[in-house]
Amino acid sequence: MSASGTDAEVVVRTVGLTKTYGRTIALREVDLTINAGEVFGYLGPNGAGKTTTIRLLMGMLRPTAGHAEVLGHDAWTGGLEVRGRIGYLAGEPALYERLTGRQHVEYFSWLRRRDPAGDRDRAAAMAKRLDLDLSRPARTLSKGNKQKLSIVLALMSAPELLILDEPTTGLDPFVQQEFHAMVREHTAGGGSVLLSSHVLAEVQRVATRIGVVRAGRLIAVERLDTLRGRSLHHVTAQLADQVGAEEFAGLPDLRDIEISDHSFSCSAPQSALDGLVKQLSRHPIVDFSCTEAELEETFLAYYADR
Amino acid sequence: MLRTVATKTLFDQRRALLGWAMSLLALVGMYAAIWPSIKNQPSMNDFLNQMPEAFRALFAMSGADMSTPVGYVQVELLSFMGPMLLLIYTVTSGASAVAGEEDRHTLDLLLANPVGRGRVLVEKLLAMVAGAVLLAAVLAVALVVEGAPAGMDLPVGKVVAAMAHLCLLSLVFGALAAALGAATGHVGAARGIPAVVAVAAYVLNGLGGVVDWLKPVRQLSPFYQYAGHDPLRNGLSWTSAGIALATVAVLTVAAVIAFRRRDVAA
Repeated sequence: MSASGTDAEVVVRTVGLTKTYGRTIALREVDLTINAGEVFGYLGPNGAGKTTTIRLLMGMLRPTAGHAEVLGHDAWTGGLEVRGRIGYLAGEPALYERLTGRQHVEYFSWLRRRDPAGDRDRAAAMAKRLDLDLSRPARTLSKGNKQKLSIVLALMSAPELLILDEPTTGLDPFVQQEFHAMVREHTAGGGSVLLSSHVLAEVQRVATRIGVVRAGRLIAVERLDTLRGRSLHHVTAQLADQVGAEEFAGLPDLRDIEISDHSFSCSAPQSALDGLVKQLSRHPIVDFSCTEAELEETFLAYYADR
Repeated sequence: MLRTVATKTLFDQRRALLGWAMSLLALVGMYAAIWPSIKNQPSMNDFLNQMPEAFRALFAMSGADMSTPVGYVQVELLSFMGPMLLLIYTVTSGASAVAGEEDRHTLDLLLANPVGRGRVLVEKLLAMVAGAVLLAAVLAVALVVEGAPAGMDLPVGKVVAAMAHLCLLSLVFGALAAALGAATGHVGAARGIPAVVAVAAYVLNGLGGVVDWLKPVRQLSPFYQYAGHDPLRNGLSWTSAGIALATVAVLTVAAVIAFRRRDVAA
Protein backbone atom coordinates (compact mmCIF):
# COMPACT_ATOMS: atom_id res chain seq x y z
CA MET A 1 0.00 0.00 0.00
CA SER A 2 1.38 3.35 -0.96
CA ALA A 3 1.80 5.99 1.73
CA SER A 4 0.44 8.85 -0.34
CA GLY A 5 -2.75 7.63 -2.00
CA THR A 6 -5.14 9.69 -4.05
CA ASP A 7 -6.71 12.85 -2.71
CA ALA A 8 -10.03 11.19 -2.03
CA GLU A 9 -8.36 8.88 0.46
CA VAL A 10 -6.21 11.48 2.17
CA VAL A 11 -7.66 12.98 5.35
CA VAL A 12 -4.62 14.94 6.52
CA ARG A 13 -1.79 16.30 4.42
CA THR A 14 0.86 18.73 5.59
CA VAL A 15 3.50 20.16 3.31
CA GLY A 16 6.56 21.85 4.79
CA LEU A 17 4.49 22.72 7.84
CA THR A 18 6.53 25.07 10.02
CA LYS A 19 5.73 27.05 13.15
CA THR A 20 8.14 29.41 14.87
CA TYR A 21 7.73 31.65 17.89
CA GLY A 22 10.31 34.39 17.58
CA ARG A 23 13.55 32.44 17.34
CA THR A 24 12.13 29.26 18.79
CA ILE A 25 11.25 26.70 16.15
CA ALA A 26 8.34 24.63 17.42
CA LEU A 27 7.85 22.67 14.20
CA ARG A 28 10.15 22.40 11.23
CA GLU A 29 9.03 21.42 7.70
CA VAL A 30 6.76 18.55 8.58
CA ASP A 31 5.42 16.51 5.66
CA LEU A 32 2.76 14.15 6.84
CA THR A 33 -0.01 12.22 5.12
CA ILE A 34 -2.78 10.32 6.83
CA ASN A 35 -5.12 8.16 4.78
CA ALA A 36 -8.77 7.35 5.32
CA GLY A 37 -9.30 4.46 7.69
CA GLU A 38 -5.89 4.81 9.29
CA VAL A 39 -5.06 5.16 12.96
CA PHE A 40 -1.95 7.28 12.95
CA GLY A 41 0.05 7.27 16.18
CA TYR A 42 1.96 10.51 16.60
CA LEU A 43 4.77 9.91 19.02
CA GLY A 44 7.38 12.03 20.67
CA PRO A 45 8.55 13.30 24.00
CA ASN A 46 6.74 16.20 25.66
CA GLY A 47 7.58 19.48 23.96
CA ALA A 48 8.62 17.82 20.69
CA GLY A 49 5.88 19.52 18.64
CA LYS A 50 2.94 17.10 18.81
CA THR A 51 0.49 19.61 20.25
CA THR A 52 1.74 22.33 17.89
CA THR A 53 1.06 20.06 14.90
CA ILE A 54 -2.40 19.19 16.15
CA ARG A 55 -3.37 22.80 16.89
CA LEU A 56 -2.16 23.81 13.42
CA LEU A 57 -4.44 21.11 11.97
CA MET A 58 -7.34 22.48 14.03
CA GLY A 59 -6.79 26.04 12.77
CA MET A 60 -5.97 27.36 16.26
CA LEU A 61 -2.48 28.34 15.10
CA ARG A 62 -1.42 30.00 11.89
CA PRO A 63 1.48 28.28 10.08
CA THR A 64 4.68 30.31 9.73
CA ALA A 65 5.44 28.44 6.52
CA GLY A 66 4.01 25.52 4.59
CA HIS A 67 0.41 24.47 4.89
CA ALA A 68 -1.89 21.82 6.24
CA GLU A 69 -4.99 20.34 4.65
CA VAL A 70 -7.65 18.53 6.60
CA LEU A 71 -10.42 16.64 4.80
CA GLY A 72 -9.52 18.54 1.64
CA HIS A 73 -9.65 22.06 3.12
CA ASP A 74 -6.85 24.36 4.22
CA ALA A 75 -6.66 24.10 8.00
CA TRP A 76 -6.14 27.85 8.57
CA THR A 77 -8.38 29.47 5.94
CA GLY A 78 -11.00 26.81 5.31
CA GLY A 79 -11.27 25.03 8.62
CA LEU A 80 -14.79 26.17 9.38
CA GLU A 81 -16.44 23.87 6.84
CA VAL A 82 -14.64 20.79 8.09
CA ARG A 83 -14.66 21.39 11.83
CA GLY A 84 -18.07 19.78 12.15
CA ARG A 85 -16.58 16.62 10.64
CA ILE A 86 -13.67 16.47 13.09
CA GLY A 87 -13.73 15.35 16.71
CA TYR A 88 -11.01 17.13 18.67
CA LEU A 89 -9.61 16.39 22.09
CA ALA A 90 -7.10 18.97 23.34
CA GLY A 91 -3.93 17.98 25.15
CA GLU A 92 -5.04 19.58 28.37
CA PRO A 93 -8.77 19.77 27.85
CA ALA A 94 -10.59 22.51 29.70
CA LEU A 95 -14.32 22.50 30.40
CA TYR A 96 -16.88 25.10 31.44
CA GLU A 97 -16.59 24.71 35.19
CA ARG A 98 -20.18 25.66 35.98
CA LEU A 99 -21.90 23.63 33.26
CA THR A 100 -22.82 20.02 33.84
CA GLY A 101 -21.75 17.26 31.48
CA ARG A 102 -25.22 17.22 29.98
CA GLN A 103 -25.16 21.00 29.42
CA HIS A 104 -21.81 20.66 27.63
CA VAL A 105 -23.32 17.95 25.42
CA GLU A 106 -26.38 20.09 24.70
CA TYR A 107 -24.40 23.24 23.88
CA PHE A 108 -22.01 21.52 21.49
CA SER A 109 -24.74 19.42 19.90
CA TRP A 110 -26.45 22.69 18.88
CA LEU A 111 -23.20 24.31 17.71
CA ARG A 112 -22.38 21.24 15.62
CA ARG A 113 -25.85 21.47 14.05
CA ARG A 114 -25.79 18.29 11.94
CA ASP A 115 -27.78 16.03 14.25
CA PRO A 116 -28.30 17.50 17.73
CA ALA A 117 -30.68 14.78 18.94
CA GLY A 118 -28.42 12.01 17.63
CA ASP A 119 -25.38 13.62 19.26
CA ARG A 120 -27.14 13.67 22.61
CA ASP A 121 -28.16 9.99 22.31
CA ARG A 122 -24.63 8.94 21.37
CA ALA A 123 -23.18 11.03 24.20
CA ALA A 124 -25.52 9.43 26.73
CA ALA A 125 -24.57 5.94 25.50
CA MET A 126 -20.84 6.70 25.62
CA ALA A 127 -21.11 8.23 29.10
CA LYS A 128 -22.81 5.06 30.31
CA ARG A 129 -20.09 2.96 28.73
CA LEU A 130 -17.33 5.00 30.37
CA ASP A 131 -19.24 5.13 33.66
CA LEU A 132 -19.49 8.93 33.60
CA ASP A 133 -22.18 10.89 35.43
CA LEU A 134 -23.38 13.64 33.07
CA SER A 135 -25.49 15.41 35.70
CA ARG A 136 -22.56 16.80 37.68
CA PRO A 137 -20.99 20.23 37.07
CA ALA A 138 -17.56 19.97 35.47
CA ARG A 139 -15.84 21.62 38.43
CA THR A 140 -16.82 18.72 40.71
CA LEU A 141 -15.39 16.04 38.39
CA SER A 142 -12.08 14.27 39.04
CA LYS A 143 -9.30 14.58 36.47
CA GLY A 144 -10.19 11.18 35.02
CA ASN A 145 -13.87 12.04 34.74
CA LYS A 146 -13.07 15.38 33.10
CA GLN A 147 -11.02 13.43 30.54
CA LYS A 148 -13.97 11.08 29.98
CA LEU A 149 -16.33 14.01 29.38
CA SER A 150 -13.84 15.57 26.94
CA ILE A 151 -13.66 12.25 25.07
CA VAL A 152 -17.47 12.03 24.92
CA LEU A 153 -17.63 15.59 23.52
CA ALA A 154 -15.02 14.75 20.86
CA LEU A 155 -16.70 11.53 19.76
CA MET A 156 -20.42 12.23 20.19
CA SER A 157 -21.06 13.69 16.72
CA ALA A 158 -19.65 10.58 14.99
CA PRO A 159 -17.00 12.61 13.12
CA GLU A 160 -15.05 11.32 10.12
CA LEU A 161 -11.72 12.23 11.65
CA LEU A 162 -10.65 12.13 15.27
CA ILE A 163 -7.74 14.32 16.34
CA LEU A 164 -6.83 13.28 19.86
CA ASP A 165 -3.96 14.81 21.81
CA GLU A 166 -2.81 12.40 24.53
CA PRO A 167 -6.33 10.99 24.97
CA THR A 168 -5.62 8.40 27.65
CA THR A 169 -3.99 10.78 30.14
CA GLY A 170 -5.51 10.24 33.57
CA LEU A 171 -7.66 7.26 32.56
CA ASP A 172 -7.49 4.03 34.52
CA PRO A 173 -6.65 0.83 32.56
CA PHE A 174 -10.25 -0.37 32.30
CA VAL A 175 -11.42 2.93 30.83
CA GLN A 176 -8.40 2.96 28.51
CA GLN A 177 -9.50 -0.42 27.13
CA GLU A 178 -13.02 0.83 26.64
CA PHE A 179 -11.67 3.92 24.91
CA HIS A 180 -9.50 1.83 22.58
CA ALA A 181 -12.54 -0.27 21.74
CA MET A 182 -14.40 2.94 20.85
CA VAL A 183 -11.53 4.02 18.60
CA ARG A 184 -11.59 0.64 16.85
CA GLU A 185 -15.34 0.90 16.30
CA HIS A 186 -14.76 4.37 14.84
CA THR A 187 -12.24 3.02 12.28
CA ALA A 188 -14.38 -0.05 11.56
CA GLY A 189 -17.03 2.43 10.42
CA GLY A 190 -14.53 4.01 8.00
CA GLY A 191 -13.29 6.78 10.30
CA SER A 192 -9.69 7.94 10.63
CA VAL A 193 -7.70 8.87 13.71
CA LEU A 194 -4.68 10.95 14.60
CA LEU A 195 -3.59 10.02 18.10
CA SER A 196 -0.67 11.55 19.91
CA SER A 197 1.25 10.13 22.83
CA HIS A 198 4.63 10.24 24.44
CA VAL A 199 4.60 6.48 25.10
CA LEU A 200 4.56 3.88 22.38
CA ALA A 201 2.84 1.31 24.57
CA GLU A 202 -0.25 3.51 24.51
CA VAL A 203 -0.61 3.70 20.74
CA GLN A 204 0.72 0.30 19.69
CA ARG A 205 -2.59 -1.34 20.55
CA VAL A 206 -4.59 0.77 18.12
CA ALA A 207 -2.23 2.45 15.62
CA THR A 208 -1.60 1.17 12.12
CA ARG A 209 1.19 3.64 11.39
CA ILE A 210 3.45 5.61 13.63
CA GLY A 211 5.21 8.92 13.14
CA VAL A 212 7.95 10.06 15.45
CA VAL A 213 8.51 13.73 16.14
CA ARG A 214 11.55 14.98 17.95
CA ALA A 215 12.64 18.58 18.51
CA GLY A 216 10.09 19.83 15.96
CA ARG A 217 11.04 17.42 13.18
CA LEU A 218 9.18 14.39 11.92
CA ILE A 219 12.08 11.93 11.98
CA ALA A 220 10.39 8.69 11.05
CA VAL A 221 7.12 7.30 9.78
CA GLU A 222 6.74 3.52 9.97
CA ARG A 223 4.01 0.96 9.68
CA LEU A 224 3.55 -0.70 13.02
CA ASP A 225 4.17 -4.18 11.56
CA THR A 226 7.48 -2.98 10.07
CA LEU A 227 8.45 -1.76 13.48
CA ARG A 228 7.41 -5.08 14.98
CA GLY A 229 9.66 -6.86 12.44
CA ARG A 230 12.52 -4.89 13.83
CA SER A 231 11.54 -5.61 17.37
CA LEU A 232 14.56 -6.34 19.50
CA HIS A 233 15.08 -9.67 21.20
CA HIS A 234 17.28 -10.17 24.22
CA VAL A 235 19.36 -13.28 23.59
CA THR A 236 21.51 -14.92 26.26
CA ALA A 237 23.37 -18.21 25.99
CA GLN A 238 25.59 -20.29 28.28
CA LEU A 239 28.10 -22.26 26.24
CA ALA A 240 30.26 -25.25 27.11
CA ASP A 241 33.39 -23.75 25.56
CA GLN A 242 35.06 -20.41 24.86
CA VAL A 243 33.39 -17.99 22.50
CA GLY A 244 35.09 -15.04 20.77
CA ALA A 245 33.69 -11.66 19.69
CA GLU A 246 35.12 -12.03 16.17
CA GLU A 247 32.69 -14.87 15.44
CA PHE A 248 29.80 -12.39 15.33
CA ALA A 249 31.47 -9.82 13.06
CA GLY A 250 29.40 -11.08 10.12
CA LEU A 251 26.17 -10.17 11.89
CA PRO A 252 26.09 -6.33 11.87
CA ASP A 253 22.53 -5.97 13.21
CA LEU A 254 23.46 -7.23 16.65
CA ARG A 255 23.64 -4.69 19.46
CA ASP A 256 25.08 -4.58 22.94
CA ILE A 257 27.12 -7.77 22.59
CA GLU A 258 28.61 -8.92 25.88
CA ILE A 259 30.92 -11.89 25.99
CA SER A 260 32.73 -13.37 28.97
CA ASP A 261 34.26 -16.85 28.80
CA HIS A 262 31.31 -19.13 28.36
CA SER A 263 28.44 -16.68 28.36
CA PHE A 264 27.06 -14.59 25.58
CA SER A 265 24.32 -11.94 25.47
CA CYS A 266 23.09 -9.39 22.95
CA SER A 267 20.07 -7.63 21.54
CA ALA A 268 19.02 -8.64 18.05
CA PRO A 269 16.21 -7.61 15.71
CA GLN A 270 13.91 -10.40 14.64
CA SER A 271 15.51 -10.51 11.21
CA ALA A 272 18.95 -11.32 12.65
CA LEU A 273 17.85 -14.21 14.86
CA ASP A 274 18.41 -16.91 12.26
CA GLY A 275 22.06 -16.02 11.66
CA LEU A 276 22.68 -15.59 15.35
CA VAL A 277 21.29 -18.99 16.35
CA LYS A 278 23.25 -20.71 13.57
CA GLN A 279 26.46 -19.08 14.74
CA LEU A 280 25.81 -19.95 18.40
CA SER A 281 24.98 -23.57 17.59
CA ARG A 282 28.57 -24.17 16.52
CA HIS A 283 29.20 -24.30 20.23
CA PRO A 284 27.73 -26.81 22.64
CA ILE A 285 24.88 -24.93 24.31
CA VAL A 286 24.23 -25.31 28.05
CA ASP A 287 21.39 -22.78 28.36
CA PHE A 288 19.61 -20.44 25.96
CA SER A 289 16.96 -17.77 26.27
CA CYS A 290 15.39 -15.35 23.85
CA THR A 291 12.82 -12.77 24.97
CA GLU A 292 11.17 -10.05 22.95
CA ALA A 293 11.87 -6.57 24.25
CA GLU A 294 9.13 -4.01 24.78
CA LEU A 295 8.40 -2.17 21.55
CA GLU A 296 9.40 0.94 23.44
CA GLU A 297 12.97 -0.25 23.66
CA THR A 298 13.10 -1.13 19.98
CA PHE A 299 11.86 2.27 19.27
CA LEU A 300 14.45 4.04 21.34
CA ALA A 301 17.22 1.91 19.84
CA TYR A 302 16.26 3.03 16.35
CA TYR A 303 15.33 6.62 16.86
CA ALA A 304 17.20 7.84 19.90
CA ASP A 305 20.11 9.27 17.95
CA ARG A 306 18.41 10.53 14.82
CA MET B 1 -30.48 28.84 26.38
CA LEU B 2 -27.59 26.70 25.20
CA ARG B 3 -28.45 26.80 21.50
CA THR B 4 -26.14 29.67 20.54
CA VAL B 5 -22.97 31.29 21.83
CA ALA B 6 -24.91 34.50 22.60
CA THR B 7 -27.65 32.88 24.68
CA LYS B 8 -25.13 30.59 26.43
CA THR B 9 -23.14 33.69 27.41
CA LEU B 10 -26.28 35.24 28.91
CA PHE B 11 -27.03 31.91 30.63
CA ASP B 12 -23.56 32.09 32.22
CA GLN B 13 -24.30 35.65 33.38
CA ARG B 14 -27.80 34.97 34.68
CA ARG B 15 -26.93 35.18 38.37
CA ALA B 16 -24.59 38.13 37.92
CA LEU B 17 -27.22 40.06 35.93
CA LEU B 18 -29.85 39.37 38.58
CA GLY B 19 -27.44 40.65 41.24
CA TRP B 20 -26.71 43.77 39.17
CA ALA B 21 -30.41 44.47 38.65
CA MET B 22 -31.19 44.09 42.36
CA SER B 23 -28.31 46.39 43.30
CA LEU B 24 -29.42 49.06 40.82
CA LEU B 25 -32.99 48.92 42.15
CA ALA B 26 -31.67 49.29 45.70
CA LEU B 27 -29.39 52.18 44.72
CA VAL B 28 -32.15 54.17 43.02
CA GLY B 29 -34.48 53.33 45.91
CA MET B 30 -31.95 54.84 48.27
CA TYR B 31 -31.66 58.01 46.15
CA ALA B 32 -35.44 58.30 46.11
CA ALA B 33 -35.62 57.81 49.87
CA ILE B 34 -33.13 60.60 50.51
CA TRP B 35 -34.73 62.98 47.99
CA PRO B 36 -37.42 64.48 50.31
CA SER B 37 -34.77 65.54 52.81
CA ILE B 38 -32.47 67.01 50.15
CA LYS B 39 -34.90 69.09 48.10
CA ASN B 40 -35.46 71.71 50.76
CA GLN B 41 -31.80 72.05 51.73
CA PRO B 42 -30.41 75.17 50.05
CA SER B 43 -27.08 74.34 51.69
CA MET B 44 -26.59 71.52 49.19
CA ASN B 45 -26.70 74.00 46.31
CA ASP B 46 -24.46 76.40 48.21
CA PHE B 47 -22.01 73.53 48.65
CA LEU B 48 -22.06 72.83 44.93
CA ASN B 49 -21.64 76.50 44.07
CA GLN B 50 -18.70 76.91 46.42
CA MET B 51 -16.75 74.16 44.65
CA PRO B 52 -14.01 75.36 42.31
CA GLU B 53 -15.40 75.49 38.80
CA ALA B 54 -13.12 72.76 37.47
CA PHE B 55 -14.12 70.50 40.32
CA ARG B 56 -17.80 71.12 39.79
CA ALA B 57 -17.39 70.42 36.11
CA LEU B 58 -16.05 66.97 37.01
CA PHE B 59 -18.72 65.92 39.46
CA ALA B 60 -21.81 67.71 38.34
CA MET B 61 -23.31 68.36 34.98
CA SER B 62 -24.27 71.68 33.44
CA GLY B 63 -26.63 73.69 35.55
CA ALA B 64 -26.49 71.29 38.47
CA ASP B 65 -29.32 72.23 40.73
CA MET B 66 -30.02 69.90 43.61
CA SER B 67 -33.38 71.45 44.34
CA THR B 68 -35.11 69.85 41.34
CA PRO B 69 -35.51 66.10 40.72
CA VAL B 70 -33.75 66.39 37.34
CA GLY B 71 -30.76 68.21 38.82
CA TYR B 72 -30.61 65.83 41.74
CA VAL B 73 -30.56 62.72 39.52
CA GLN B 74 -27.94 64.35 37.30
CA VAL B 75 -25.58 64.98 40.18
CA GLU B 76 -26.21 61.77 42.09
CA LEU B 77 -26.60 59.19 39.34
CA LEU B 78 -25.86 60.40 35.82
CA SER B 79 -22.64 62.28 36.43
CA PHE B 80 -20.66 59.50 38.06
CA MET B 81 -22.33 56.52 39.74
CA GLY B 82 -24.45 55.35 36.79
CA PRO B 83 -21.68 55.45 34.19
CA MET B 84 -19.23 53.81 36.58
CA LEU B 85 -21.53 50.88 37.36
CA LEU B 86 -22.57 50.23 33.77
CA LEU B 87 -18.98 50.51 32.59
CA ILE B 88 -17.88 47.93 35.14
CA TYR B 89 -20.46 45.54 33.72
CA THR B 90 -19.67 46.12 30.03
CA VAL B 91 -15.89 46.22 30.43
CA THR B 92 -15.90 42.99 32.47
CA SER B 93 -18.28 41.36 30.01
CA GLY B 94 -16.35 42.59 26.94
CA ALA B 95 -13.00 41.50 28.38
CA SER B 96 -14.26 38.02 29.12
CA ALA B 97 -15.75 37.61 25.63
CA VAL B 98 -12.56 36.25 24.05
CA ALA B 99 -9.77 36.88 26.56
CA GLY B 100 -11.69 35.44 29.51
CA GLU B 101 -12.49 32.25 27.65
CA GLU B 102 -8.90 32.02 26.44
CA ASP B 103 -7.65 32.60 29.97
CA ARG B 104 -9.72 29.65 31.19
CA HIS B 105 -8.43 27.58 28.25
CA THR B 106 -11.92 26.84 26.91
CA LEU B 107 -11.43 28.60 23.57
CA ASP B 108 -9.98 25.45 21.93
CA LEU B 109 -13.06 23.54 23.05
CA LEU B 110 -15.40 26.18 21.61
CA LEU B 111 -13.55 26.80 18.32
CA ALA B 112 -13.30 23.05 17.63
CA ASN B 113 -16.98 23.36 16.66
CA PRO B 114 -18.07 24.73 13.29
CA VAL B 115 -18.43 28.30 14.59
CA GLY B 116 -16.14 30.95 13.13
CA ARG B 117 -14.11 33.29 15.28
CA GLY B 118 -16.03 36.29 13.96
CA ARG B 119 -19.32 34.71 14.91
CA VAL B 120 -18.11 33.83 18.41
CA LEU B 121 -17.02 37.42 18.97
CA VAL B 122 -20.15 39.04 17.54
CA GLU B 123 -22.46 36.74 19.49
CA LYS B 124 -20.58 37.47 22.72
CA LEU B 125 -20.91 41.21 22.00
CA LEU B 126 -24.62 40.76 21.37
CA ALA B 127 -24.91 39.15 24.80
CA MET B 128 -23.09 42.16 26.28
CA VAL B 129 -25.48 44.54 24.47
CA ALA B 130 -28.47 42.61 25.82
CA GLY B 131 -27.04 42.75 29.35
CA ALA B 132 -26.33 46.50 29.14
CA VAL B 133 -29.79 47.23 27.70
CA LEU B 134 -31.33 45.21 30.52
CA LEU B 135 -29.41 47.11 33.21
CA ALA B 136 -30.18 50.51 31.64
CA ALA B 137 -33.86 49.54 31.40
CA VAL B 138 -33.86 48.51 35.07
CA LEU B 139 -32.42 51.92 35.94
CA ALA B 140 -35.04 53.72 33.84
CA VAL B 141 -37.90 51.77 35.41
CA ALA B 142 -36.45 52.28 38.89
CA LEU B 143 -36.11 56.04 38.40
CA VAL B 144 -39.69 56.42 37.24
CA VAL B 145 -41.40 53.88 39.49
CA GLU B 146 -39.38 54.34 42.68
CA GLY B 147 -39.06 58.12 42.25
CA ALA B 148 -42.78 58.97 41.97
CA PRO B 149 -43.85 57.96 45.51
CA ALA B 150 -41.05 60.10 46.94
CA GLY B 151 -42.11 63.10 44.88
CA MET B 152 -39.03 62.71 42.66
CA ASP B 153 -41.01 63.24 39.48
CA LEU B 154 -39.05 62.77 36.28
CA PRO B 155 -40.13 63.10 32.64
CA VAL B 156 -40.43 59.50 31.41
CA GLY B 157 -39.32 60.18 27.84
CA LYS B 158 -36.22 62.07 28.98
CA VAL B 159 -35.33 59.32 31.47
CA VAL B 160 -35.50 56.75 28.67
CA ALA B 161 -33.32 59.00 26.47
CA ALA B 162 -30.75 59.49 29.24
CA MET B 163 -30.60 55.76 29.94
CA ALA B 164 -30.23 55.04 26.21
CA HIS B 165 -27.23 57.37 26.10
CA LEU B 166 -25.84 55.79 29.27
CA CYS B 167 -26.20 52.37 27.69
CA LEU B 168 -24.40 53.53 24.53
CA LEU B 169 -21.59 55.03 26.62
CA SER B 170 -21.06 51.73 28.42
CA LEU B 171 -21.14 49.81 25.13
CA VAL B 172 -18.35 51.97 23.68
CA PHE B 173 -16.01 50.94 26.50
CA GLY B 174 -17.31 47.36 26.51
CA ALA B 175 -16.52 47.10 22.80
CA LEU B 176 -13.06 48.54 23.47
CA ALA B 177 -12.50 45.87 26.14
CA ALA B 178 -13.72 43.14 23.77
CA ALA B 179 -11.45 44.40 20.97
CA LEU B 180 -8.40 44.48 23.23
CA GLY B 181 -9.21 40.99 24.52
CA ALA B 182 -9.73 39.68 20.99
CA ALA B 183 -6.47 41.21 19.78
CA THR B 184 -4.25 40.26 22.74
CA GLY B 185 -5.93 37.44 24.64
CA HIS B 186 -4.99 39.11 27.92
CA VAL B 187 -7.80 39.73 30.39
CA GLY B 188 -5.73 42.22 32.38
CA ALA B 189 -5.09 44.46 29.37
CA ALA B 190 -8.68 44.10 28.22
CA ARG B 191 -9.99 45.35 31.56
CA GLY B 192 -7.25 47.77 32.59
CA ILE B 193 -6.78 49.78 29.41
CA PRO B 194 -10.50 50.64 28.97
CA ALA B 195 -10.61 51.67 32.65
CA VAL B 196 -7.70 54.07 32.16
CA VAL B 197 -9.17 55.38 28.89
CA ALA B 198 -12.53 55.88 30.60
CA VAL B 199 -11.00 57.95 33.40
CA ALA B 200 -9.09 60.05 30.88
CA ALA B 201 -12.22 60.54 28.75
CA TYR B 202 -14.21 61.48 31.86
CA VAL B 203 -11.68 64.08 32.95
CA LEU B 204 -11.38 65.40 29.39
CA ASN B 205 -15.14 65.92 29.17
CA GLY B 206 -15.32 67.55 32.60
CA LEU B 207 -12.38 69.89 32.23
CA GLY B 208 -13.03 70.49 28.53
CA GLY B 209 -15.92 72.71 29.57
CA VAL B 210 -13.74 75.07 31.58
CA VAL B 211 -10.17 74.73 30.29
CA ASP B 212 -9.75 76.64 27.03
CA TRP B 213 -7.14 74.52 25.32
CA LEU B 214 -9.13 71.33 26.01
CA LYS B 215 -12.31 72.68 24.43
CA PRO B 216 -11.55 71.61 20.82
CA VAL B 217 -10.81 68.00 21.82
CA ARG B 218 -13.62 67.67 24.36
CA GLN B 219 -15.99 66.32 21.72
CA LEU B 220 -13.71 63.32 21.27
CA SER B 221 -14.70 62.04 24.68
CA PRO B 222 -17.47 59.41 24.67
CA PHE B 223 -18.64 61.12 27.88
CA TYR B 224 -19.33 64.23 25.83
CA GLN B 225 -21.48 62.18 23.44
CA TYR B 226 -23.24 60.80 26.49
CA ALA B 227 -23.96 63.95 28.49
CA GLY B 228 -22.80 66.99 26.52
CA HIS B 229 -26.31 67.68 25.26
CA ASP B 230 -27.89 67.06 28.68
CA PRO B 231 -30.22 64.18 27.75
CA LEU B 232 -32.33 64.34 30.92
CA ARG B 233 -33.44 67.85 29.84
CA ASN B 234 -33.13 67.70 26.06
CA GLY B 235 -33.81 64.05 25.24
CA LEU B 236 -32.12 61.93 22.63
CA SER B 237 -29.41 63.34 20.40
CA TRP B 238 -29.32 61.30 17.20
CA THR B 239 -25.91 62.67 16.34
CA SER B 240 -24.38 61.62 19.65
CA ALA B 241 -26.10 58.23 19.52
CA GLY B 242 -24.88 57.77 15.96
CA ILE B 243 -21.29 58.56 16.93
CA ALA B 244 -21.44 56.07 19.80
CA LEU B 245 -22.94 53.36 17.61
CA ALA B 246 -20.35 53.99 14.91
CA THR B 247 -17.58 53.72 17.49
CA VAL B 248 -18.97 50.36 18.67
CA ALA B 249 -19.22 49.16 15.07
CA VAL B 250 -15.65 50.19 14.21
CA LEU B 251 -14.28 48.55 17.37
CA THR B 252 -16.23 45.35 16.59
CA VAL B 253 -14.87 45.14 13.06
CA ALA B 254 -11.32 45.79 14.32
CA ALA B 255 -11.79 43.10 16.98
CA VAL B 256 -12.94 40.52 14.44
CA ILE B 257 -10.04 41.30 12.10
CA ALA B 258 -7.47 41.08 14.89
CA PHE B 259 -8.97 37.89 16.31
CA ARG B 260 -9.00 36.15 12.92
CA ARG B 261 -5.34 36.85 12.29
CA ARG B 262 -3.75 35.58 15.45
CA ASP B 263 -2.95 32.30 17.19
CA VAL B 264 -5.22 31.12 19.96
CA ALA B 265 -3.38 30.35 23.20
CA ALA B 266 -3.76 26.77 24.39
